Amino acid sequence: MSPSEAPSRRAFALGLAALFASACDRPPRPSGEVAFWFSYGGNNRKVLLELIERFHQEQSRVHVVATFQGDYFEGLIKLRTALFVGAAPTITHVVGEVVPYLAQAGVLQQLDGIGAESLADLEPALAQAGTFEGGENEPLVALPFNRSTPIAFYNRTLFDELGLRPPTTWDGLRDVARRGGSTGTAARWGFECPVDWWFWTALVGQAGGRIIENGKVTLGGTAGVRALELWQTMVHDDRTMRSPPGRDFNAWEATNGDFLAGRAAMIWTSTAFVRYLEEHASFSVGAAALPGDVRRAVPTGGTFFVMPKGLPESEQAAGLTFLRWMMQPKQASEWARRTGYMPVSKAGRRELEDSGFFREHPNFAVAVDQLSVAERWPWAPSLFRIQREAVQPRLEAAVAARLDARTVLAAACAQSEER
Amino acid sequence: MALVAKPPTREDYAMRRSTSDRLVTLGLALVALLWVGPYLWMVATSFKSLDELVRAPAWPIPSHFRLDAYREVFATLPVWRYTLNTLVMAALIGALQAALALPAGYALAKLTFRGRRPAFLMVMACLMIPPQVTFVPVFMMLGPLGLVNTMTALVVPFAVSAFGTFLVRQALLAVPNELIEAARLDGAGELTIIYRILGPLVRPTLAAMFLFSFVYHYSDYFWPLMMTTDDHVRTLPVAIALLREQGTGVRWHIVMAGNVVLTLPVLVLFVLAQRRILRAVTARGLS
Amino acid sequence: MSLRPTKAFHPYAMLAPTLVLLGLFSIVPLGVAFHRSFFAWDLLTPAEPVGFDNYRFLWSSGELLEVGWRTLAYSVVVVSASLTLGLALALALNREGRFYAFVRSAVFSAYVVSWVAVGLLWLWLLDPQAGLVARVTRGLGWTPVDWLGNPKVVLFTLAGVTVWKITGYAMVIFLAGLKDVPRSVLEAAALDGAGPWQRFHRIVWPLLRPTAAFVGTTSLILSFQAFDIVRVMTQGGPVRSSTIFVYAIYEQVFVNLRIGRASALTVVFFLLLVGLTGLQWRWWRNRPRAKTTL
Repeated sequence: MSPSEAPSRRAFALGLAALFASACDRPPRPSGEVAFWFSYGGNNRKVLLELIERFHQEQSRVHVVATFQGDYFEGLIKLRTALFVGAAPTITHVVGEVVPYLAQAGVLQQLDGIGAESLADLEPALAQAGTFEGGENEPLVALPFNRSTPIAFYNRTLFDELGLRPPTTWDGLRDVARRGGSTGTAARWGFECPVDWWFWTALVGQAGGRIIENGKVTLGGTAGVRALELWQTMVHDDRTMRSPPGRDFNAWEATNGDFLAGRAAMIWTSTAFVRYLEEHASFSVGAAALPGDVRRAVPTGGTFFVMPKGLPESEQAAGLTFLRWMMQPKQASEWARRTGYMPVSKAGRRELEDSGFFREHPNFAVAVDQLSVAERWPWAPSLFRIQREAVQPRLEAAVAARLDARTVLAAACAQSEER
Repeated sequence: MALVAKPPTREDYAMRRSTSDRLVTLGLALVALLWVGPYLWMVATSFKSLDELVRAPAWPIPSHFRLDAYREVFATLPVWRYTLNTLVMAALIGALQAALALPAGYALAKLTFRGRRPAFLMVMACLMIPPQVTFVPVFMMLGPLGLVNTMTALVVPFAVSAFGTFLVRQALLAVPNELIEAARLDGAGELTIIYRILGPLVRPTLAAMFLFSFVYHYSDYFWPLMMTTDDHVRTLPVAIALLREQGTGVRWHIVMAGNVVLTLPVLVLFVLAQRRILRAVTARGLS
Repeated sequence: MSLRPTKAFHPYAMLAPTLVLLGLFSIVPLGVAFHRSFFAWDLLTPAEPVGFDNYRFLWSSGELLEVGWRTLAYSVVVVSASLTLGLALALALNREGRFYAFVRSAVFSAYVVSWVAVGLLWLWLLDPQAGLVARVTRGLGWTPVDWLGNPKVVLFTLAGVTVWKITGYAMVIFLAGLKDVPRSVLEAAALDGAGPWQRFHRIVWPLLRPTAAFVGTTSLILSFQAFDIVRVMTQGGPVRSSTIFVYAIYEQVFVNLRIGRASALTVVFFLLLVGLTGLQWRWWRNRPRAKTTL
């Protein structure tokens, strides 16, 4: 290579790279293409991608490009970033708690276009109307897909051996945790639960409280305090519950892992993990509804489909076509059957009942039955800040270091008030 | 203990047999194990199956060498696309830094003009401003321009390296003025002088700059994480880190397979170009 | 000494791309951050001016001090450990021979590998159940430490992993510094009966001190900027016990959507870095002259 040739060849290579780089810059979405961001990993991801594959086989007008964006919280970060920079996908799914916030910020598209037929078939308790207090009075911006409730899983083999039954009261929970655990070489926690906002909310409901009462953030008042103290007692006095094993999904993964490895006799987690746990456990897995205290209560969880505002009409239509298909009984029931999320379509649920699926898989039925005691979230734009900023970061410390529950929640309340 | 540099003399070889020296060698072997062991563990894990991981047998070597984890990584991630993104980004940054540092360094080192001192001070001041300080405002600036999620957002903020400019200036200070004057007398324009005459002269500096910046940006997680959400500009480190966030239970064999995919090219490059990389690093350190 | 430009505008044209880009991506952002630090803004709804509220919150909530101390603790551990270990390794490995070359490469390789890879790798090594470290610990009959789950331990675990990654850098710089130690002097000292410790203390260390100062201040500044390892390994937890500066900024922007607060943190962070750089330049004035010119 002669010296005069070298720079030009290099310039050529550089030019080529720059060309590629500019090709990377914001390709316009071809018509009929739906960009879909999702947060499912592992088995659920596989099921979802197979469903999308089938969608493509059944029709050819709409093409879904699915991109994995990390867990819920990571996905949410990405979504808000993308909303700000105007690069949001056609469809994504977000945790319920953030829907009122996004709706109030005016960044969500109304989804009535999905059609009356699809809407009429939605399971009320899982749709926007039934998930949020007054959700029916708000513009429809969120459609349910993977919805869940907290649920208890227990090591049935072990429970049978020890003659234990899943508890139905808080006292029963402490008792079962005491008797299900063991110390020594094969140490086992009687009870494990991610120290997470969601399960705390369940306990608050069971203790008779609500996060927001009469438009004021109370975090359940005494009920909130009692909920937190139950965990503290079980971790520090009873020593039957594992201290918080980490943050967000670290904690969930650790909890599942301990259960599968036989290091926890009973756990609380999401119904979404039924399949995963049944498939990977070397023992018989039982599912049970959460216990009650002054009443029985569980929050709903999982995510809703949302669409950002301001997309071209054709892209909206394409997105709705996909969502409509996903919510059809066949897909809804298949998704539920293969993951453990709840069927969001009434017809889909009937299909599962009629085919005897719930009889064969009683663990799946527990979640659906538990829906009767599901409580609604307040339609409060501040809800996600209460969750992510005020409560969630404090729970872990409060349980691990046994901070005074009243003080901790008072501080969380105070922070919830600020804008 | 031979603490200090000496040419290996006969006396040295005699000392090697002493007990303290053997202890040092043993210690160094442990050190090597401490650094190489984790890589081996990573590779071993990547060949295991999930069942084997759950059972966690004491024996660290996988019972069968399975490629399932790699298959899954390549099936779930467009690995080649991500790799291409990463390579293009790192190469563009390295090349732009070298190409822009030359004229700037030349002006600062060789030319008299009004404002030279403030210009130099500005370059030096920017040494104090790392991406960790600028990412929030840059994100806010690029967002409304539609530049977040583009290769531009990944490359342009790094197209100029304050430190690189400084290095090139230092290197050019050592070039005699007569050379440039002679070139001018021969009728060479300034661009020719910069790129055809001075460029080759400070080639080692430029190469070191390029290499350092290439390796750094190839591995960079921070900036691409902040500036992209989209698949078409996703870089390999961001994608591999996402392998862990699955929500159910971490499937470590897959994460480690991804990690091997991420690490192997760098380690190979390191073995091949170790001397140059070392020079690049020490040059950054000591010049 | 210097040349006159052939055309008056030449130097400006040559510097323009560099200065414009540095201005746009280093200096203007500082101004933007400063300006934004007086607003409450969540990216999605209009910003509201709030005066010094963001700074006041960072101070009164204790967040600033907590994060600051944590970052300092992490940095001090990282710097002192990597410096000591890097120096010891440089001294022990400053010889010819394949074995030594191999150990040098092994230690230095970690510096080249990405933080993501190192973070994931150690996350798996330190897994409380199936990780290699816990297995070895249990095999020896000890109770494994909860390296990443114990709020009192986690920061030091991260520091340890960081040391694993960057010790190679310190070692390499020290090895370069050792080249400046004249062999004749050492040999003379050895002939005079000076033991290894004396030779180190009297001859080597005084010559290496500027190098040590340089490595120390550089790694101090770099460890203040740590983020990747926190993001990959702990996300700042458990109980915020590993939330160090840059992660705290990230959390305010992307998790909490509090741009104003993040900007205020950024401003404070920048001032801290300026302070540290001032420190560095004070040390740097008596830096060793480069032997390896590029």
